[in-house]
Amino acid sequence: MNRKASDSRTVGLTDGMRAVGMSLVLSLSPTVRLSAQNTVDPLTIRFSAMTAVSGYEQAMADSLVALFPGQAAKDRVGNVVLTLGRGAPKRLVACPLDEPGYVVGNVTDEGYLTLRRVGRVTQPLFDQQNLEGHRVTLFGLKGPVPGVTAVRSTHLTRGRPMLAEAAFTVDNAYVDVGATGPAEVEALGLPVLTPVAALKQPHAYGGGLLAAPVAGRRAACAALAAAVQAKPRVTGMVVVAFTVQSLQASNAGLESVKRLAGPFTDVSVVSVPSQFEGTPVETVALADARAAMQRIVEWMGGRQ
Amino acid sequence: MKASDGRTVGRSVCYALAVLLSISQTVRLPAQDTSRIAEAASVLGPLIESYGVSGMEAPVRETVKRLLPAWAKPETDTAGNLWLRVGQGEPLIVFVAHLDEIGFTVDSILDDGSLHLRTRGGFFSSLFEAQPALVHTTHGDVSGIFLPREPSRDSGPARRTPPPLRVSVGATTRAATQALGVAVGSTITMPKRFVRLAGSRATGRAMDDRVGSTAQILAVRHLDPTKLKHQVIFVWSTREEIGLEGAAAVAAALGTAPKRVHAIDTFVSADSPLELQNFAVAPIGRGPVARALDNSAVTPPAYVDSLRAVARARGIALQFGTTNGGNDGSTFTPYGVVDVALGWPLRYSHSPAEVVDLKDVASLGDLVQAIAELW
Repeated sequence: MNRKASDSRTVGLTDGMRAVGMSLVLSLSPTVRLSAQNTVDPLTIRFSAMTAVSGYEQAMADSLVALFPGQAAKDRVGNVVLTLGRGAPKRLVACPLDEPGYVVGNVTDEGYLTLRRVGRVTQPLFDQQNLEGHRVTLFGLKGPVPGVTAVRSTHLTRGRPMLAEAAFTVDNAYVDVGATGPAEVEALGLPVLTPVAALKQPHAYGGGLLAAPVAGRRAACAALAAAVQAKPRVTGMVVVAFTVQSLQASNAGLESVKRLAGPFTDVSVVSVPSQFEGTPVETVALADARAAMQRIVEWMGGRQ
Repeated sequence: MKASDGRTVGRSVCYALAVLLSISQTVRLPAQDTSRIAEAASVLGPLIESYGVSGMEAPVRETVKRLLPAWAKPETDTAGNLWLRVGQGEPLIVFVAHLDEIGFTVDSILDDGSLHLRTRGGFFSSLFEAQPALVHTTHGDVSGIFLPREPSRDSGPARRTPPPLRVSVGATTRAATQALGVAVGSTITMPKRFVRLAGSRATGRAMDDRVGSTAQILAVRHLDPTKLKHQVIFVWSTREEIGLEGAAAVAAALGTAPKRVHAIDTFVSADSPLELQNFAVAPIGRGPVARALDNSAVTPPAYVDSLRAVARARGIALQFGTTNGGNDGSTFTPYGVVDVALGWPLRYSHSPAEVVDLKDVASLGDLVQAIAELW
């Protein structure tokens, strides 16, 4: 089981440099080290419980703005952006907020909701493992609404031809929120385009491992947020961006930040290695998130 | 009040509050329905959130005992079944709902620390792949994950059914896994919650057969044991999902003494956009169902008529139908005991997302009470 980076673009340090930089940070800045231990883990868990369907990241973005009151703001695309330091060089460090998910595509006469997938998906079992027979959350006009995705009853398949061996896809998904018709769905505040995602229940196991959908992305953003909270010494100006729509073809969020807030002499996208990427149990080691935070702090201080 | 009592009260209040909050934001129900649904949820919730794979039902059995009224003095037999005898005299009538749920046991611990599994009961293994796992050990629950399959190297379409599932608890050696208390025979499930949906509907894993257990508890709570005209035995049975084993022990112990047995178990409903509509069409929310024909038993038509009369006498809406699956009552029929199985309509059986209507749960409790008192 090989670990895969959740994003191929990293902060850009070699392992040797990381080790040297880490020891320097640990010896020179014990407060940063303590902060990392105290904030990265809970932030990783907290972020892993959040949902940000690609293009519909507003709620998580608002939570991030609230995390840095008076410091962070959303740009016109929806990225959460803040600036540390001033002068040159002007650099950008970013992490992607968004995740693949769904929106409501239609409502049936019986009160079921059908779905359209949003965002690029590379895992062929994504729909099956996230939807079929599992809890989902619909982020409606009146707040989150719990639902489940229908699955054939085991008992009623007995003595009948087996289920198709082709994997379950979103086109077979009927979301049951307990409604008996379109009027009840409307009363629940669930119109077409309501974002939908698998239930987020971050699951700690194995002494320092955390399993959750898009855990690698969430750990990367947690490391970046914790680095900002640590109030690091910054060389020049560093623009910090939590970007949206990375899973759309244009990677619109990151490209917008580059154009709206740039130009930058260096751009780094934070990543944390993960196992089982793209599954509901994508797993990160919390120690890796803490290490990423330390690397970000070093990078902000000008160490390459 | 003991600390455990305090937790119990607190949890009950939470369920009641959750019920009220969810009702207030969706479909409004009459006040009488609201209180009946709140009581059903307050019993069903803790039962859903107790874990009990076939053969390891003790946590669920303890929850049932805690939810029974103070006057009830249940006993546990050597097969793990929980018995509650109420009233005296002939005829003897038995109700039986099962405690256990589907899941896995640890078959072996591999060199890399992962767990090889044995299934307990019938279900689609794809519903567990790549999901969180709980290993239930004698030292407490150990968290893990059901490992996703390795990425396919061929370019064909992905197959629905995974290879045999394994669980990782994050340890990388057999010894490290054993040090966590995991042993061959430990049971494995996935975490579950009781959650209210819109109106009077709810979801959770193991509604089959925690709803039956709930109905029996509600009936016991509401009946007056001094006014029963004959003896009634309520049984919460073990190992139903792996062959009706607990009920078979009860049937053997009682022999020909009972006149009737009422299995209180799931009516697997075709009320779903994914199901054929040839049979089992009992919509959820329209009342309990006389499970007149399944894969294990047939209720004699005259008894179905009597059941209809009992329901009518108490104003209980009753559906009739046939579905798949076996029921505990069928283990009594070789002793000359008539099996009059009852159920409630369930969507998405043996999945993590089973859905019921709590009005059906409350009505099923009413029907069990009515049968005990009138028939």
